Amino acid sequence: MAKHARPEARIFSVDTRFQTMARRPGGVLREKAIELAQAKIDEIQPEFDGWLERELQDLAKLIAKAAAGKAEQNWITAANFRSRQLRDIGATMRCELLSFVADSLCDLFDSIAAGAECNMDSVVCHVDALMLSRQETYRHLQPEQVPELIKGLRLVAKRASL
Amino acid sequence: MASVTVNFRDLVILVADPSSYMTMLIHSMLRGFGANKVLEVRNSGGVFQVLTGQKIDILICDARLPPHGGLALTHAIRRKEDNENRTIPILIMTSDGRETTVKLARDAGANMVITKPLSPASLYDRLAWIAFNPRQFVDTATYFGPDRRFKIEGYPNGVGRRKGDKIVEIAEEAGPALAQDDIDSLFSAVRTGQN
Repeated sequence: MAKHARPEARIFSVDTRFQTMARRPGGVLREKAIELAQAKIDEIQPEFDGWLERELQDLAKLIAKAAAGKAEQNWITAANFRSRQLRDIGATMRCELLSFVADSLCDLFDSIAAGAECNMDSVVCHVDALMLSRQETYRHLQPEQVPELIKGLRLVAKRASL
Repeated sequence: MASVTVNFRDLVILVADPSSYMTMLIHSMLRGFGANKVLEVRNSGGVFQVLTGQKIDILICDARLPPHGGLALTHAIRRKEDNENRTIPILIMTSDGRETTVKLARDAGANMVITKPLSPASLYDRLAWIAFNPRQFVDTATYFGPDRRFKIEGYPNGVGRRKGDKIVEIAEEAGPALAQDDIDSLFSAVRTGQN
């Protein structure tokens, strides 16, 4: 039997536990809370270094296999996932250049997933740029501090999307 | 808005993201805010498992959470009538901050969207906004969730509003991401121990 359509919207108030609890007195002031959160992020910096190295190596292996014609199944999805992680986590960990390069690589994978031709030279070039940007001398640079690298990367990305 | 302080102590916060490092990062931020009960899962099955086993106070969920995405998960949580966590606040994390994505999240029943990369300030301000701006719930044949007719005048403490931010308008629902049968099967799969 067909369900009867409800004639109108029911609108009601919800007093969630989150709202009740979050508004209790005794919390940490915003500026202090943010400062403490940043300190917690700084505490996991040593883990980040190891994680970053592993992620980059795994991504490089994935791409190298694909470039050699031995691509794993769903390699673009896997590589895009790793690139997104590098972009999002990299920025939170203040690796702006790395995050910028990873963002460009994500755009590349998104366009490939949407049907654009897969230009492996462009992908490999981005991986090389990621490897460079992880190095201590580049790690905390802003993209605008390395204009030649950024210009080159943009050119490569533009050619790949043509 | 006057300066506000959020008390995170004893709030049960569920963080759902496919990246283990991302969940660790968010966990660390929440600890810094004073949270002491943070749970982590990697997929929708993990979320349903937690939801059927205990009450949580807020879900922070990635829009690309496998297998069906965070928006389908939000829709499933909101539409399931016998789900006691049906009205929990849901904060969707996305790398895609386009207006269409925000509208889709809102139409799925999310309370708020936060764009990745996250920072402690952006996360704090959105959680504070949810805490201090309770919205009524709307239940219709095609939508269950927080009232979509709202606009952000600014996050608590007067920060977070950007020049390019637009008032969110009411939109036609594009249709449910999951059928009711799919939602039921997701819950029953968890109850029977499948994932």
